[in-house]
Amino acid sequence: MATEHVRTHAIDMNSILRGRDKNSGQNEICIKVENLNLHYGQKQALHNISMDILKQRVTAYIGPSGCGKSTLLRCINRMNDLVDSARIDGKILLDNENIYDKSVNVAALRRRVGMVFQKPNPFPKSIFENVAYGLRIQGINDKRTLDETVEEALKGAALWDEVKDRLNDNALGLSGGQQQRLVIARAIAIEPEVLLLDEPASALDPISTLKIEELINELKEKYTIVIVTHNMQQAARVSDYTAFMYMGELIEIGNTNQLFTNPKKKQTEDYITGRYG
Amino acid sequence: MSEQTANSISSPAKSVPSKRYQQWRLMKDSLARYSVVVGGLGVIVAIVLIFFYLLYVVLPLFESAKASPIAEYDLPEKNAGKTLLLEAEEQNEVAVRFTDSGNINFFALASGKLLLNQKINVPDGVRISSFAQGSPINQGAVAYGLSDGKVIILKHQYKVTYPNNSRQITPSVAYPLGEQALVIDDSGAALEKLAVRVEPDSTTIAAKSGNKIHLVNFAKEQALFADEATTNRTAVTLDVTADGIAELLIDKEGRELYLLNNEGLLSAYDISDKSSPKLKHEQKVVEAGQTITSMAFLNGDLSLLIGDSAGRVSQWTQAKNELNQLSFKKIRSFNISTQAIVAIKAEQRRKGFLVVDAGGNVSLHHSTAERELIKQQVGAATPVAALISPRANRFLLETGDGKLHAWNIENEHPEVSFKSLWQKVWYESYPKPDYIWQSSSASNDFEPKYSLTPLVFGTLKAAFYAMSFALPLALMGAIYTAYFMAPPMRQIVKPAIELMGALPTVILGFLAGLWLAPFVEKNLAGLFLSLFLLPVSVMLFALFWQYLPKKYQQKVPEGWEAIVLIPFIICVAWFTFAISPALESFLFSGSMRDWFNRELGIGYDQRNALIVGIAMGFAVIPTIFSIAEDAIFSVPKHLTVGSLALGATTWQTMTKVVLLTASPGIFSAVMIGLGRAVGETMIVLMATGNTPVMDFSVFQGLRTLAANVAVEMPESEVDSTHYRVLFLTALVLFLFTFVVNTLAEVIRQRLREKYSSL
Repeated sequence: MATEHVRTHAIDMNSILRGRDKNSGQNEICIKVENLNLHYGQKQALHNISMDILKQRVTAYIGPSGCGKSTLLRCINRMNDLVDSARIDGKILLDNENIYDKSVNVAALRRRVGMVFQKPNPFPKSIFENVAYGLRIQGINDKRTLDETVEEALKGAALWDEVKDRLNDNALGLSGGQQQRLVIARAIAIEPEVLLLDEPASALDPISTLKIEELINELKEKYTIVIVTHNMQQAARVSDYTAFMYMGELIEIGNTNQLFTNPKKKQTEDYITGRYG
Repeated sequence: MSEQTANSISSPAKSVPSKRYQQWRLMKDSLARYSVVVGGLGVIVAIVLIFFYLLYVVLPLFESAKASPIAEYDLPEKNAGKTLLLEAEEQNEVAVRFTDSGNINFFALASGKLLLNQKINVPDGVRISSFAQGSPINQGAVAYGLSDGKVIILKHQYKVTYPNNSRQITPSVAYPLGEQALVIDDSGAALEKLAVRVEPDSTTIAAKSGNKIHLVNFAKEQALFADEATTNRTAVTLDVTADGIAELLIDKEGRELYLLNNEGLLSAYDISDKSSPKLKHEQKVVEAGQTITSMAFLNGDLSLLIGDSAGRVSQWTQAKNELNQLSFKKIRSFNISTQAIVAIKAEQRRKGFLVVDAGGNVSLHHSTAERELIKQQVGAATPVAALISPRANRFLLETGDGKLHAWNIENEHPEVSFKSLWQKVWYESYPKPDYIWQSSSASNDFEPKYSLTPLVFGTLKAAFYAMSFALPLALMGAIYTAYFMAPPMRQIVKPAIELMGALPTVILGFLAGLWLAPFVEKNLAGLFLSLFLLPVSVMLFALFWQYLPKKYQQKVPEGWEAIVLIPFIICVAWFTFAISPALESFLFSGSMRDWFNRELGIGYDQRNALIVGIAMGFAVIPTIFSIAEDAIFSVPKHLTVGSLALGATTWQTMTKVVLLTASPGIFSAVMIGLGRAVGETMIVLMATGNTPVMDFSVFQGLRTLAANVAVEMPESEVDSTHYRVLFLTALVLFLFTFVVNTLAEVIRQRLREKYSSL
C-alpha cells in the first residue's frame, strides 16, 4: 500500500517535470523585488534583495531559521505592516506596480496576494462560511455565487469530497491537514493572482504533507506560488525555482534542479548538503 | 521482568530525581489537589447553606394555619338566656357571654368555670329589645336597648394582678355613662336595632325605633375650672323611613353610619357632625335571591364584610369611581360555604376574619391575601355564636345543644399569599387594584402591603438604565483598547479603568445622591445635549482626523489617537454644560425640569433612574470593560492575521472574526455586569429615593430588592411577617442572580464550544 503511494507520487513528479518543460517558453515575470531592505527597529532583517518571481511557477525560499525567508514572503502582501517596528525601503512590483506605493489599498492588494500560514487558522465558523469569508468581505452575498465558489474552491483544494456532506459543521472539527487545505480553499476562493505559502506543511503529518504538496502542483496551473520551507526535500519536490537565503541576504536563486544539483555558491552547497542549518 | 524494570527505574541515574524528592513532589501535588477540592466544595456548601437558611426563614409564610380543639364544656348558667355575644380578653383566660336576659357571665375560657355573673338593671315592666357590640371592638363596650326607648351602655373589663407571682385576671363590669339608662327615643318606643360607638369623651348611639332612626351623641365636656364634667346630648332623627332596616353600624372613628335594609340596600351616612347627618351614597350589596345573614366590619372599619344565605362573604369598601365620586365597591368575595353564613367575626389586629356557617363549619380567612386558612367542622349541633380572641389565637363556638367548643389557632402569617405578593391587590380605600409595597406606617390599623412586584420592577429598571449607560461605553472602550490602541497606552488605560472598579460603591452612591442629582436637576438640558453631542462630536473628530494632512497625523503614533481625543471630549462636555443655562432659559423658559412637568406632564424626582443609571453604570463599567477587553485581546493573532491576509479591512476583521471569537467572553462580561447591577445596594440606596413605584419613567425614583432589605431590615421585628417577607425578597434576589448566572454560564459554554479557537 505504502509503496504504491510512493509510486504514484513518483509518477506525478515525472509528469510535473514534463509539464515544466512544456511551459518553459513563457517566462513572464509576476513579481519583481528590487533592492528591498527591511529593518525591525535597529536590526536589519533583509539586505538589498532583488529577484524575479515568474508567473504560474512555484518558487521556494529555503534557508536556515531566522534567515529572513518568511519576512521576505510577508513583504509581498505587506503583512509586515502589522509589525509596528518594521521599516521597508526598496520596491516590490506586482504586475509592474509598486505595492509599497502610497496609493495602494492594502486590503485590495491582499485580495490579490493570498497567504496561507504555517499553522492552520480556520475561523470559528462553519466550513462553508470559512471559504465564503473572502467573498463576503468583498460584499458578495448572493447565495448561488457563494455556493458555486465554495464548491469550486473546496474542489480546488482537494477537500470537497471529504466535507461536502458537512459544510455547516464547525471548521474546527476538521483534522489538521484538512484544516490546512480548508485554509488554502479559503485563500483560492477569492481567486488571487499569487499564493504565498508560509511553511504550509510543517505542522502536519506526512500523509497530509503529501496531499498539500500534490495540491501545490495542481494549483500552479492557475496561480503564481511562493512557498517558504525549511524542508529541502519539499522544496525540491514542489518548486520550479528555489531561492536560498542566509542571514537576510539572497545568496542564490535559480532553477530548482540546477540549484540542488549544481549550486553556484559555496554557502548554498554547504546548506543543501547539510553542513549547517 | 517487572523486577528488572523496577530496578532500572530506581537505579541512581543523575537525571532521575531521588525517591524522597519524588514522594515529596507527589505529596505536594495531592495536597494542592485536596485543598482546591475542599475550597471548591466549601464555596458550594456555603451557598447551599445560605439558600437553605433563607428558605428556612421564608417557609413559615406559606404554611397553612392549624386549629386544634382544647376543650368542650357545657354552657355556664345555661338558663340565663340566649347568647347575644361572646367575647374574650387579651390573655385568653376569661371569656364573657352576654345574654338576652341581661346576664353577663364571665367564665374561664379553658374550662367553662363561671367566674362572675352580673345582671343589668332593667326596670320592671321594661324588657330588653335590642343589643349591640360597641365600636371600637377592643374597648369592650356593649349596649342594651330597652323597650322604653332607653339604652344601657356597659363595658366588660379585666384587671391583671400578680399575687404570688402568678397572673390573675379579675373581670368586672363598668358603666362609662352611668348605670342609669340613657334616653334615646323621647316617645318611649322600643329600640329595635342599635349601634353604638363608645370613646371616653364621646358616645354615639344610633337606634331604630318604629319607623325612625335616632342618632344621639353624648359629648363629655370638661370646663376649665370645674371638677365635674358636663355631658352634652345632641339628638337628631335621620331623614329616612326606618321600615325594613335590618342592621346599623357605626365605624370606630364615629364618622360613618351604615344602614342595611332587608332588601340588601346599604347606605352610608356622614355623621362627623352629629347634629346633621348626611346621606353620602347607597347601593345594593346583595345578589338577587339572596338575603344578608351577617355583617361585620373588617379590622380598621374601612370595609364591611357581608355574609349571605348562599354562603358567600363579600367585602365592600368605599372607593372613588371614575367620576371621582365615592361609592361602595365590592373589592373581593369569598365562596365560603353552601350554607348560610351565621356569624362573621373579624380579627382585631389583622385583616382576617372567622366565619361560621349554618352547618357548623368554622373557617378562618384573610381578606387581602384571599386565603382560606382553616376550615373545620366544629360540634354536632347548629352554631349559635362564636368569638375570636383579640390575639386571634383562640376561637370559641357555641352550638345549639348548649355546648361551648374552645379551639386553639396557630396562624402567624395569614397576610402572605402568591396573589398578595405578585398580583394586583385591591386594598381598602384604593380606587382600583394595584401593586403596592408599604410595609409600615404610624397607624395601628394599617394594613402592611407586601407586593414584591414594584421591587422586582425597580431592580430591573435600575439594572436596565445602568446597563444602557454602561454597556455601550464599556464594550466600545474594550474593543478600542484591545484592538486598536497602542500597547503602551493600553498598559496605562486598562489598569486605570480597572482601578475605577475598586472605588467603594458607598462613595459613588454618596456622590450620585448629593452632588450628581442636584447637578443634573439644574443642568438637565446640558445632560441631554451632551448625550447627543458627545458621540456626534467624537465621530466628527474622527472624520476630521482622517482628512488631516499626513504631516500632522504622523505626529501622533498609530494607536495613540485617543490621547488627542481626550482634551477634545473634555472641551465638548464643558461646552454643553456651559451653554446649558442659556439653553434652558431660551428653549425651556428657565428650567427644563419644569418644562417637562408643564408641557409633557412628566414628573421629575431629583433622585431618579437617570442618576442611578449613570452612577451604577459607572460602577458596572470596570467589570464589563475588564472581562470584555481580556476576551477581545486574547483572540489569537493568527485569526486576525488570517482575516487580514484575505483582504479584509481592520474593521471587517474586528466585526466578523474578533468579536465572534470573543463573543463568549463578551457575553459573560455583560452577564456579570448585569448581576452586579441587580445586586448592587449602596448606590441604589443613596441615589434612588427608594420609592417603590411602578413607573418606567427615567425621571422617577425606584426601590430595588437589595435596597429594600437594607432599608427595612433594621426596623423589622424578628420572625414577624415583615421580617420573613424581607427574607423572601432576599431569596428572590438570590434566585434571580442564581438563575441569571446559571443561564449565562450555560449559554457561555455553548458559545465557547461554537466559537472557541484553537
